[in-house]
Amino acid sequence: MIECRNLVLGYKHKPISKPFNLTLPNNKWFGIIGENGCGKSTFMKTILGNLKPVAGELQIFGKKPGNSNNSIAYIPQEREINTSEYTSGLTLIELSYNGWHFGIPFLNSNTKKKALDLLDLVGATKYMHRPFTTLSGGQKKRIYLAQALINQPKLLLLDEPLADLDPEAKQHFIEALNKIHKQHELTLLIISHDMHQIAMDLDGYIHFKHTQVHFCQELPCIREGAYVGI
Amino acid sequence: MWAYDFMQNAVLAGIIVATICGVVSVFVVIRRSAFAAHALSHMSLTGATLGMLLGFSAISGQLFVNLIAALTMGFLGDKIKKNDLAIGVVLTFVLGLGAYFLFLFQNNYSGGVLNILFGNILAVSKEQIYLLTGLSIGILLILTICARPLLFASIDPTLAEAKNLPIRFLSIVFFCIIAVTVSMACQIVGALLIFVLLIIPGAIAGLWCDGFYKTILVSVLVANISVFISLCIAYQFNLPTSFCITTLMSLIYAISHIKNQVLKL
Repeated sequence: MIECRNLVLGYKHKPISKPFNLTLPNNKWFGIIGENGCGKSTFMKTILGNLKPVAGELQIFGKKPGNSNNSIAYIPQEREINTSEYTSGLTLIELSYNGWHFGIPFLNSNTKKKALDLLDLVGATKYMHRPFTTLSGGQKKRIYLAQALINQPKLLLLDEPLADLDPEAKQHFIEALNKIHKQHELTLLIISHDMHQIAMDLDGYIHFKHTQVHFCQELPCIREGAYVGI
Repeated sequence: MWAYDFMQNAVLAGIIVATICGVVSVFVVIRRSAFAAHALSHMSLTGATLGMLLGFSAISGQLFVNLIAALTMGFLGDKIKKNDLAIGVVLTFVLGLGAYFLFLFQNNYSGGVLNILFGNILAVSKEQIYLLTGLSIGILLILTICARPLLFASIDPTLAEAKNLPIRFLSIVFFCIIAVTVSMACQIVGALLIFVLLIIPGAIAGLWCDGFYKTILVSVLVANISVFISLCIAYQFNLPTSFCITTLMSLIYAISHIKNQVLKL
């Protein structure tokens, strides 16, 4: 469960939101909507403990931000991946499995099977052995999804995963998300400007408007097209 | 030729240094730390002259100066991609010191400095081999403990930072590993040519295979085979060993690169 009590988001003590309260139950999927620069990504970074709240209290699964990061998977909007020419998607997943633990990277047969199952779930099996650098943007995003799920997260944060994808790649990614929704029990927060495409799968929306943040169980304005193409 | 003590020592030292460089170079390539390796290798010249000036061995001076430089680079720098300025500042300061030490160290100038710059594997003593073995075991132990977070932070720095991994600490540990490896490899190929062992084996392995362990294995094999063949060629044709190593490894890299380009066509 994610609980915000009079939470004020911001950078280095400079607030960018007014205090807000929010309770997000487990295993539900929520969309985060709002204009650019209104604090959507800041909210995710605050959940991860990368940014401190300016005021108020935030609890993730009963712990302070940063203390439960092993249960959180995150797919950032912009990402730098350094691999050698031959590193495949499967190797990328292998090397990021429990990457914050000390020791040497090692996948036992159970974890390897889980990685293969996840790659199958997101539809990336046929190119999992191909060099990662040669994959298209959409293919990379599906590998990222499998990579995010390998550590069995309880919370998945997706920051504009559909950006820069062509319509077909978007459709594939959304299909993969739908499969994950059916098969995995996890809470999901997704920031997207294409929310109308995934609206049917969400349990609610966190709406960032100017400095206000509020929760909408149903967001009819999305279906009316008010947020399409924000 | 194997009857000579100096050749036996040279082969042993070659195997130890090539093995460690083979492992470390994979990390150097993935972390894009070529400039750090370059800077620390040049700074080892300052370390060696300081060591000899004070009456110690060259390698003890190199270890001392390189480790201080590695710590400073790690503390001044931020994340992996933002270290270049910190490395550049430390490099120029330490090289300046090196110029001063050389000025003070005018006796025995040519021979000592040439050995530091270009290495002399045939002059390695038994004591140096014991030291190289001890340092290698230390590096391998630290890498075994830190490999997983180090790789994660290297391959996926954005996510590693989001996961609150101690990126600065890992960066400092890695700089220290390069510092010690550079001090060791200086005995074989010298400060100027150290790149050949610290970058090319990992780069070649990356052009041939996928998977962490396979890449490490290929890198170690390439480094060992190259050093061994170079030693034999250098002995038979009376050539500088470091010249043979650099030529052979550059050749292997060129072939691997061409192979990849042809396969892509």
